[in-house]
Amino acid sequence: MTIDSARARVWCVVRAARRVQDASDELGKDARARLPHVTGLTDESIELALRDHFETHPTDEEIDALVSSTTHAVACHIVLSANVFTAPLRALALGVATSERVIVRPSRRDPVVTELLVRALAGDAEFAAQGGTIEMVERVRPESSHALHVYGSDDSIEAITKGLPLGVVVRAHGTGFGVAVVGVDVDVDHVAEALSRDVVVFDQRGCLSPRIAFVEGDALRAEKFALALHEALASWSERCPRGVMDAGLLGEISQYSATMQAIGSYWFGTSHAVGLDPAPRALVLAPAARIVHVVPANASNVATLVAPWIRYVTAVGTNDDQGLSVAILRMAPLARVSRLGFMQRPRFDGPVDRRGTRVDENC
Amino acid sequence: MTLRQTSESLHLRVRRFIEASVDGAATERFDDLALDIARFQTTHVPAFARYGKARGVDFDAMADARGIAALPVDVFRLARIAVHTPDRDERVFRTSGTSQGKEARGEHPMRTTATYELAALCWARRMLWPDARSFDVLVLAPSAAEVMDSSLSFMIDMFVRDVGHSATYLVQEHVLDLDRMERAVGDAVRRDHPVLVLGTSFAFVHLIDHVGGRDMRLPLGSRVMQTGGFKGRSREVRPEELRGKLSTILGLPETHIVGEYGMTELSSQLYEGTLAAALGFGAGVEGRHGVYVAPPWLRVDAADPVTLEPLPHGQTGMLRFVDLANVDSVVAVQTMDLGRVTDAGVELFGRAPSAMLRGCSLAVEDLLVAGGL
Repeated sequence: MTIDSARARVWCVVRAARRVQDASDELGKDARARLPHVTGLTDESIELALRDHFETHPTDEEIDALVSSTTHAVACHIVLSANVFTAPLRALALGVATSERVIVRPSRRDPVVTELLVRALAGDAEFAAQGGTIEMVERVRPESSHALHVYGSDDSIEAITKGLPLGVVVRAHGTGFGVAVVGVDVDVDHVAEALSRDVVVFDQRGCLSPRIAFVEGDALRAEKFALALHEALASWSERCPRGVMDAGLLGEISQYSATMQAIGSYWFGTSHAVGLDPAPRALVLAPAARIVHVVPANASNVATLVAPWIRYVTAVGTNDDQGLSVAILRMAPLARVSRLGFMQRPRFDGPVDRRGTRVDENC
Repeated sequence: MTLRQTSESLHLRVRRFIEASVDGAATERFDDLALDIARFQTTHVPAFARYGKARGVDFDAMADARGIAALPVDVFRLARIAVHTPDRDERVFRTSGTSQGKEARGEHPMRTTATYELAALCWARRMLWPDARSFDVLVLAPSAAEVMDSSLSFMIDMFVRDVGHSATYLVQEHVLDLDRMERAVGDAVRRDHPVLVLGTSFAFVHLIDHVGGRDMRLPLGSRVMQTGGFKGRSREVRPEELRGKLSTILGLPETHIVGEYGMTELSSQLYEGTLAAALGFGAGVEGRHGVYVAPPWLRVDAADPVTLEPLPHGQTGMLRFVDLANVDSVVAVQTMDLGRVTDAGVELFGRAPSAMLRGCSLAVEDLLVAGGL
C-alpha cells in the first residue's frame, strides 16, 4: 500500500460524505428522511450537523496527518456502537487509510450514515481503482495481523475485544466529554454565546460536547456567566430545538435539576438547562441533553475538582492560555483544544479522541 | 430554644417513638413528628431550605410527610447536610465510592449517634434475633476501627456489642481469612452455640468461590445478614444463587439468610422478613426474599422519576425515604433506586433506568457503574 493510494481512498470517503451532505443528492435525501427517526434529533439539528459539523472539506495537510496516524494492516475491521451520527465519516476515513480492505459493523441503533457512505463507496470507481473494498457485516471476525477499530463505551469495547485472536491490533475509542474554560479576562456574554454553539450540536451527545464550564473567578462571575449561557442557549430553542428524550434521560434531568436546586441554581428552557454550583466540593456530570454544569474555579483549586474526571476529558474549549486554562490543560495534555464555539469542529487529522487512543497489540 | 436544645428535644421524641412503635404502640403521629423535624432542618440546613423553596413546600399547610421535598442523595456529596457545625460532629459516615476521589464521597455528619443506635438495634432485634440474645458473631466486613467512617461497620460493631458472645472479624486489608473462619465455626459447633454471620455480598461471593473443602456448617439457630451490592469488588451473583450456595455451605435454611438494605444517608435499615416469619415473630411481616420490611419510624414511597412526586402504593418508581432517625441531617431522602412499595414491604429493582446511550459522550450511568457516584 502506498501513502498516495491511502490518501486517495480517504478523499473518496470525503467525497461520499459530500453526497450525504447534499440535500439534492439521493444519499442526502435518504439521510434526511431517516436520521430524525433513528437519532431522535430534530430536523433542524440534523441540518445543522450536516452543514457545519460534517467534515467534508478537510485540507490536504489534515488528510496527510490522518493517514500518518494509522499503521497499515491487511484488513481493518470497524465497530461503531455509540457515536454521533456524523462519526462514521472519520471512522471510515481512518479505516481506509489503514487498509485497502475495510469491514464495518455499523451501530445497530444508528446505521444510516455508515450505510450511505458504504453505498457511495461501493459504486465509486476511483475507490476500487485505489484497491479499496468495503463491506458491512453483522459481526466482525478479525484475524491475526488485522486491525480492529472499536468505538463505544468502555463496557462495549471490553466485550468486543475479549477473546480476539493473537496479533490483532486494536484501537479503542471510548466515551468522553468536553469541558469549557472561561478565563478571567474574557467577556462572559461573548463566550457564553460561543459556548452555546458547542453545546447545541448533536444535543450534546458527542465526546467533544462541553458538559462542564469552569469560570475563573468567584461565584458571582460564575453566576453571571451561567445566566448569559442560559440566555444564549434559549435563543437556539426556536431555530434548532432539542430532540426526543427518553424516560431515562428525563429522570436523570429531574435528579440533576433537584440537586442543583438544593446546592445552587438551576435555569432551564424548552430545549436546555444550566446548573450552577457556587461552592463546588465535587463535580456533577449533568445529563447530555444541552445541559451545562457551571462552577467557579481558579488555577489553585481546579486540580482537586478535575482530577477524578480527567481520564474522561476529550476536549477543552478556551479562549485564553493562562491561569485556569493552563492548569486544566496540564492535567489533560492529550485533549483536543479549541476556541469556544469551535469545539465541535476538530481538525480532520486523525481520531477525534486523542486521549491516548488505546492501541493494543493483542499478542 | 437553642439549636442543640431543639435537636435534643426532637431526638427524644424520636427515641420514644421508636421504643413504642417497635412494639406496635404510638406516642404521636408519624407525620407530625416528621414535619416538626423537617421544619427544624429547613431552618438550619441551607440545601434543604433551598430545595424546599424551589419545590414550593409550605409547611404551614402540610399535614402529610409525603409533602416534604426529599433531598436527592447526590446532594450529600456536594454540600454539608447537617443542622450543626463541623466542630459538633460526633461522627461522620461516608459513602464508599472512591473512583471520584475522597472529596466526592457522600457524607452524613452525626451530632449524636444515640438515635441511630437505638433505631438500628431495635429493628435488628426484631428482624435478625427476635428469639435469642447471644451469638458467636462472624463478621465478613472490616471493623469500625479499620474504616472509621463506614456506617455499616459502625452498625455491625454495635450488633456485636449487643449479642456477641464472641466476635471474629474475618476481613482484614480486604482479605477474607477462610482458615480463621473455619476454626471459629468449628469452635461454635463444639460448644453448640449459634452463630450470627454479618457481611457484605461481595465477601460472601469470595466465600462461596474459595471455600473449597472446608466444613463451614453452622450450629442450629445460626443465621446470616447480607448487605450491599458488588460494586466491581467481586463477580456479580444473582441473589437466589448466592443464597442457595450460602445455604448449602453454611447448613442453614434459606429463610435464615436475611438481606439488609441500608445507606449512609439514612439512619434506619430495612430487612427481608424471612427469618422473623420463620421463627414465628413475623406478625404482619412478609416472609419472602426480595421484600424488605421497614421499621415504623421509616416511611418508604416510590416517587415518579420525572416529577419526583410520591406515587400510589403498588406503583414502581424511585424510592424515597422519610426517616425519623435522621434528626440532624434531612428527614426525607430521594434515592435513585428503583422499587415498589406494597403492604408487604419494599421490593428493590436496582438503579433507575438510565438514558439510552445515543452518542459518544460519557453517560451518567457509566460513572455509576464505575462506582463513581
